[in-house]
Amino acid sequence: MGLFSRRRKPAADMDGLGDTLIALRVEAGDVVPASCTAVVFNAAGHARRAAAGKVACEQGETAFCFHPGPYTMDLTPFAAAPEWGLRLRFVVDAANPRVAQQRFDLYLYSETAGRLALADFAVSAQLALQAELAQGALDLPPCTTLEEWHAFRAGLNQLMYMRYGVTVDDCVPVDLGEQIDYAATLRTRAQQEADRAAPVAATAGGASAGPTDGAPPASVAAAASAVTPTAAAPAARQATAAEQDARALRRLFIELPALGSELRLLSLPEGSVIFQQHQALLLRLGMAALNVNTMPALAWAAPDQPLSAGDQAVRSAQTLIAQSALDESWSLLARLQLASPQQWPQLLDEADRICANLETGLSLRRMPHVPRTEPSL
Amino acid sequence: MSTISTSAVPANAECRSVLADGRTVTITASRRPRANRADVKCSVPNAPAIAERMQQVVRLARHTEVRLDSRDQVVLSMDIAPAATERDWELAAVLADRMVRGLLPAAPTTAQGRSGSWHLGRVTGTVRNTPHAATGAAPAAGEDGTETVHITHLGALSGHADLSAAVSTVRTWFPLHSGGINDTLGWLEVSVFPLDAPATSEEDSIAAPGLDLAAQQEVRHTLAAARHFDGKGLNRWRTVVRFGQPRFQGGSYQLALVMADRLARGREFVPRGRLIATGCSTAWHAGRVDTVDGREPKLALIFDQVNKGDRVLLPKAWQDELPPGFAAGLRQKGASLACIDKIGMI
Repeated sequence: MGLFSRRRKPAADMDGLGDTLIALRVEAGDVVPASCTAVVFNAAGHARRAAAGKVACEQGETAFCFHPGPYTMDLTPFAAAPEWGLRLRFVVDAANPRVAQQRFDLYLYSETAGRLALADFAVSAQLALQAELAQGALDLPPCTTLEEWHAFRAGLNQLMYMRYGVTVDDCVPVDLGEQIDYAATLRTRAQQEADRAAPVAATAGGASAGPTDGAPPASVAAAASAVTPTAAAPAARQATAAEQDARALRRLFIELPALGSELRLLSLPEGSVIFQQHQALLLRLGMAALNVNTMPALAWAAPDQPLSAGDQAVRSAQTLIAQSALDESWSLLARLQLASPQQWPQLLDEADRICANLETGLSLRRMPHVPRTEPSL
Repeated sequence: MSTISTSAVPANAECRSVLADGRTVTITASRRPRANRADVKCSVPNAPAIAERMQQVVRLARHTEVRLDSRDQVVLSMDIAPAATERDWELAAVLADRMVRGLLPAAPTTAQGRSGSWHLGRVTGTVRNTPHAATGAAPAAGEDGTETVHITHLGALSGHADLSAAVSTVRTWFPLHSGGINDTLGWLEVSVFPLDAPATSEEDSIAAPGLDLAAQQEVRHTLAAARHFDGKGLNRWRTVVRFGQPRFQGGSYQLALVMADRLARGREFVPRGRLIATGCSTAWHAGRVDTVDGREPKLALIFDQVNKGDRVLLPKAWQDELPPGFAAGLRQKGASLACIDKIGMI
């Protein structure tokens, strides 16, 4: 039986591994190149790393192989400054024997579907970096001094390690003026604006639309019920609401316990207040994990009562809020690991905010319809 | 090094707006624990439709924020009901919502403005701030203590470029010293748009309307030299420079001008808040920053006016002469400081 299936299956396409491809999923029987490492996840999600060679895995196990690198990617830290970037060189490090689960393995297991291309990874990392800078968790101001640059580098290294499990080898500011032409971008925008204005002017001239300059459509208003998820995965943009929802819930299911155990390992500064807040944080994360584990299906309001597509979209938008809270909590963990005792109260306040967002997202995901929480006047 | 902000966020904030019939509506925002209630609640006396519209506007405008905080409920209320067709109070509602959550400094503000696309942050409106009212310095001439700014998107309040506009416009601030009580932060604005054909001379493509001829010439020299230093900025841009206050003396605005130009052309890291800079140079083509006069009053003014997220750039020569606790005080307020002798990284 095994021989038969092995013969029919096409060999995995391993071109570009170590260059444009970081990792890909392999099946039992595939041969992992000598420069790569195989990671096998058993049915419970526990990972073990194996040497290169023929992949051996049992029923219910999934296997990935990755190339340690080094890889180089260009990130734009600010969307408003596209010609000024950072060039990062990173590697996937050898397994750290002191931790039970390698962060990169967890990233592969929970966020990678099939292939992890360097370009997709760069987009995701850029979104994470931009969100951190916009929120003030990292600082990269104009005319950065050497001291500020070192602080930024430390924060960036820790962020990349905690969020993705990769080790930043080198990071230098680069002038991307050769590749990106901001003038051309502006010209495209002007063209788009002119294109948009033309039909509007035509209709306004025909019907003399009156003073209302376009009230926003009702669908936008419905989506405005809470807020935007800041960093959705780029590949998820084309996915349907149900797929996005399933992916986000899977991530929450897998990563929340791991996040909790990482938070437990932090060394706390002295003081009972911080200790209590830390305990409360762990408890809330545990409750959120329980909430995720018992999440009702997306498509049903109640047994025998299917939910309309619109309500499903609203529901899955709430899952994405919870997912972005999860992303933020990984970067918060990175900051907590570097924090000095004076910064702890502020960071725990941040943790409180993230937990509140997570809980809000999950509780609204649980409800079949948008609740009317209070009577309008 | 992350910033430590201890500035307490107020539980109440208000923002005014002048209605079409001349009455002034005050929009009061207050914050309370959310406790499973809606994130925004609005009330307007005898006008539920306007309250609903206000809630919609505020929720849409929150889409442009990067930080989501679901812990608080913001309650917005108007003291009088505007006419049903009126929409210029919208900007005031959005600003009040931001002030009460500490995203904007809570200062007495009057704002008029409306938008058809709040979720993109676009708005046409004016904001009038009276930053000195708290310190009790009564503005002598009525219009001096207040400044009116026209904005086309919400980020313009901290000088950022609109990411969806075809013309990249960036505003920076510099201290204007005019003898004690009338010291203000002046602003300047650089707008750039790509030229169709390469300019024959860089200085012809730079306009500074409203300035006298000598000042115009200085602005042109400064920008052309600084772009020469940059290497990629020459002969590509049509540039317009505007000043909030066109009557001034001295060249201490030059660093702010050069930085605004670099930001507008997308070739500099972007500060989270405003960029406040003072400094001039005789060698912009080498990127050098020289010292300027009036250190003490300017430092005092900057320290007084700085907000969370602002970036302060000073000449290197001032580094050893900063008053004790200046840098720490700025960091306490959430701003950051650098004394530089050269523009660009490190």
